[in-house]
Amino acid sequence: MAPVRTLSALTEADIAATRSANPDAFGNSRKSLLIYAAWASVFVYLAFAFIYFDFGRIFEPSENAQRLLRAMFRWEDMETWQYANIYRGIAETLAMAFLGTFLASLVALVVGFLAARNIVRFGLFRHTVRRILDVFRGIDQLVWALVFVRAVGLGPLAGVLAIFISDIGTLSKLYSEAIENIDRKQVEGIRSTGAGPVRTIRFGILPQVLPVFLSQSLYFLESNTRSATSLGIVGAGGIGMIIIERFRATLYDQVVFVVINVLILVAIIDWVSKKIRMKFIGEVGE
Amino acid sequence: MAVTTTPLTETGHPQDPVSIYEKHRTDLQRAKLGQNILFLLLFFGMLIFSIVTSQFYPERLAQAASRVFEYFGTIMPNLQWDLLFEGRDEQGRAVEGSLTFWYTDLDKYLSLIWETILMAITATLLGTAGALALCFAGSRNLMKNSWIYFFARRFMEICRGVPEILIALIFVFAFGIGPLAGILAVAIHTAGALGKLFAEVNENVSRRPIDGIRGVGGNWFEQMRYGVLPQVLPNFVSYGLLRFEINVRASSIIGFVGAGGIGQELNRVISFYSDDRVLAVLVLVVITVTLIDLLSERLRLYFIGKEQL
Amino acid sequence: MLELKGVSKHFTSTKAVDDVSVTIDDGQMVGIIGRSGAGKSTLLRMINRLADPTAGEIRFGGQDVATIKGRQLLNWRSECAMIFQQFNLVGRLDVITNVLTGRIYHHGFASSMLKLYSPAERAFAVHALDRLTMAHTAMQRADTLSGGQQQRVAIARALVQEPKILLADEPIASLDPLNAKVVMDALRTINREDKITVVCNLHTLDTARKYCDRVIGMAAGKVVFDGPASDLTLEAARAIYGADLGDFTEEMTSTDLDALGRPPAAAIGTAVDGQQLAS
Repeated sequence: MAPVRTLSALTEADIAATRSANPDAFGNSRKSLLIYAAWASVFVYLAFAFIYFDFGRIFEPSENAQRLLRAMFRWEDMETWQYANIYRGIAETLAMAFLGTFLASLVALVVGFLAARNIVRFGLFRHTVRRILDVFRGIDQLVWALVFVRAVGLGPLAGVLAIFISDIGTLSKLYSEAIENIDRKQVEGIRSTGAGPVRTIRFGILPQVLPVFLSQSLYFLESNTRSATSLGIVGAGGIGMIIIERFRATLYDQVVFVVINVLILVAIIDWVSKKIRMKFIGEVGE
Repeated sequence: MAVTTTPLTETGHPQDPVSIYEKHRTDLQRAKLGQNILFLLLFFGMLIFSIVTSQFYPERLAQAASRVFEYFGTIMPNLQWDLLFEGRDEQGRAVEGSLTFWYTDLDKYLSLIWETILMAITATLLGTAGALALCFAGSRNLMKNSWIYFFARRFMEICRGVPEILIALIFVFAFGIGPLAGILAVAIHTAGALGKLFAEVNENVSRRPIDGIRGVGGNWFEQMRYGVLPQVLPNFVSYGLLRFEINVRASSIIGFVGAGGIGQELNRVISFYSDDRVLAVLVLVVITVTLIDLLSERLRLYFIGKEQL
Repeated sequence: MLELKGVSKHFTSTKAVDDVSVTIDDGQMVGIIGRSGAGKSTLLRMINRLADPTAGEIRFGGQDVATIKGRQLLNWRSECAMIFQQFNLVGRLDVITNVLTGRIYHHGFASSMLKLYSPAERAFAVHALDRLTMAHTAMQRADTLSGGQQQRVAIARALVQEPKILLADEPIASLDPLNAKVVMDALRTINREDKITVVCNLHTLDTARKYCDRVIGMAAGKVVFDGPASDLTLEAARAIYGADLGDFTEEMTSTDLDALGRPPAAAIGTAVDGQQLAS
C-alpha cells in the first residue's frame, strides 16, 4: 500500500478500513469510555447540586448584597473608625495565637514522649494517650472555641484555651512521630557512655528532635494566627469580635479595612517565621 | 585536671591546644550572646504581653477550669448500662438512659450530616475547577506576563487568607441562611489554597513536552493542556482528595454562622441547650470526620499507582 | 525556499549565532555540523521561533518569519515541523494522542481542549505511525517506549503536520547506532519521497556525509563551511571542529555500524608518524 502523505489523500473507504483495524486509536477503547463516564457523572452531580442547593439565588442578589457590595468599595468617614480598637484587637489575636501555641508546645513536649513507641513500651497506656489526643484533634478548633465560650464566657481566654487544647492533640502527635523517627545510633552512642535515661534523652534524643519541634510549632503559630481570627467570630476574643461588631453595625467598609489588616498581619507572620526558621533550624523553606 | 592559663609567647599567642579551644569557644559564645539575649528578651516580652492581653491569670484559670468541668458535666448524656440498648416503648417514647433517648433526633442529625458531605463534595469540585483556572497563570515558569502572574497569585492569596467563616458570614448575609453560602465560602477558600499548591507543582515540570507542543504550533492554552496537565494530574488528584477531607471538616463547622450543614445544628444546641444534645452532635461530627479521613486516605493510596484521566 | 539573511543571536556577552546568511532550496537535505556551543541548535530554533533572533531576516515562502506574531506564528510553526534530541513527547499520553497533537493548529479552542480529532485525522495518524513501523504501539503510553521508538513517534507527529520543512535538532544524539540508522533512514525517505526540505543538526561527520546532500559547518556562531558533502575534506573538518589534535579522523566521532569493519583509528594523542603529542 502506497504511503499516505497528505490528509486529503485519504478516502472514506480508507478511513473506515483503518478504523476497523485499529478501533482503539479512534477513541473507542474501554479506558476512554470510563473516562467519559467519570466526567459525565461529575457534571451530572454538579447539575443536581446546583438545583438541590438552589444556586439560582446567586443571580438574585438581595438588597443586603447590593448594600454590602457598595459599602465594600466606598470608604466613608474614616476618622470615626476607632482605630485603637482595631489594633488592640489585632494585638489580642496575636497574643491568643502565641500563648496558645506556646503552652500547647510545652505540654506536647511531655505528652509527645509519652506517646512515642520507643520511650513508652507499655502499649495500653500509649494507646490510651493516643486516643485522647485523637479526640482533642478530631474536634475542630472552632468547636472547642464555641464550647469554651459557653464555659468561661466571651473573650480571649476562651480562644487561648481552644487553641491550647486542639494543638495539644496535633502537636503531641507530631512530636511523638518525630521522636519515633530518630536515629537510634545517636542514642546508643550516648547510652554507651554510661548515661542514665534522663541524660540519654537530653543528649541523645533532644538535639535531634528539637529542630523538628521548633519547626512544627512555628508552622502552627502561623496557622493559629490565621485561625484565631475565625475564633473571634464565635466570640473567643481577638480581631474576629471586632469584625462581627462592625458587621452587625452594618459598617462594611470598616470590615473590609480590618480584613486587609489581617491579611497583612498574616503576611508579616509568614515572613518572621521564615527568618526564624533560617536562623535556628537552618531550613530554606518556602 | 586543672586548667591553667598558659604564659603567652612574645607575639601574644596562647600556646597549648586546650586554651586555644577554650578561647575559641568563649569567642563564639560571646558573638552569639548578643543575638541570643535579644531573642530571649523578645520572646519573654511576647509571653508577658500575651498573658496580660488574654488575662491568662491563675485565678481566672482556676475559675475557668472548674467551669469547664462543670460544663462538660452538664453535656454528658445520662446513660445507664442496663438500659443502653432499650428501644422505644408501646407509645413510641424512648426510655431515658438508653442510646435511643440520647439520639432522639438521630434522623435529623443524619440528614444534616449527609447534607454536610454533599456540601463538601460540591465545594471541592467547584474549588478545584477554580484552582485549575488560576494555577497555570500563577506559575512563574509558565506565565511569562508578570502582571497576570502577580494578580493570579494575589487573588489566590486573598481567597486563602480571608477566614472561611467570614466569607460564609458575608454570603449568608447576601444570599440568605442555608448551605449555599457555606458551599461558596469553602469553594473560594479551596480555590485559593489548592491553586497555590497546584502552582507549586507546576513549577517543577519538565519543559520538554511543553516545547514539543510549542513546536507543532500550539498556543499557551494548548501548551498547558497537553504539555503540563498530563505531568501534574496525579499530584493534583492527590491534593484534591486531601482537600476534600479538610473540606468535610470545614463544611461541618461553617454552619455556625448559618451556612448550613450539621454546624448549624451544633450552634443551635450549644447556644440554646446545655444538655446531652451537644455531646450527641459533637460525637457524630467527630465520627464522620474520622471516617472520611480514613476513606480518603484509602482512595489516595489507590490512585497513587493508577493511570489518570 | 528558506533564506537566512544576516541572522544573529546575541546574548549580553556572547554571540551564539553571528551573521549567518544561507539559502536552502526546496527538497534539499542539509546537515549542520560543528562542536557543542557552535550555535547549531540556536540557529535551528530560530527558524521555527522557539528562540527569537536579535537581528536578521528569515524568509520562507515570501514571509519574514523572524518578525511574525500571534496566529501567523502558530501557523508557521505548524508548517515547520521539528524533532528534538530528547523527543519532547508527552510521556503520560498514549502514542496516538502524541501524534495527533501535530494537528493542534487546525483545531479551535474547544476541540483541541477536548481532544476532538476527526476520524480522518486519526486514520492519517495511524498511517503516519505505520510508515515508521510504530502502528502497533498506538495505545501505549509514550514513556514506555525506548528512545529510538520515541523518536519515530516524534517523526510521525511531524508528518501529520503536513510540513513544508522539517527541522531536526540533534535527532540521533541520544540514540544507539542501530536506532540512529533507522531514524536517519526515515528522515532521508521523507526527504526523497515526500519532497520535504530537511535540515538536521548532526554531531557525527560520517552521518552528515552519508545522508545529506549539503553540509553546513559552524564554529563560534559563524558558518565556516557550506558545500556538497563530497567537498567535506579532513582539512575542512578540522577547521569546523577547531581540532588542534594532530590526528583527527572521522572514525573518532563515528557511531556508524559500518565503521566497525575498518581498521581502528590511531589513538588521540599520538600522531600517525608515532610522535607523542601532549595529552
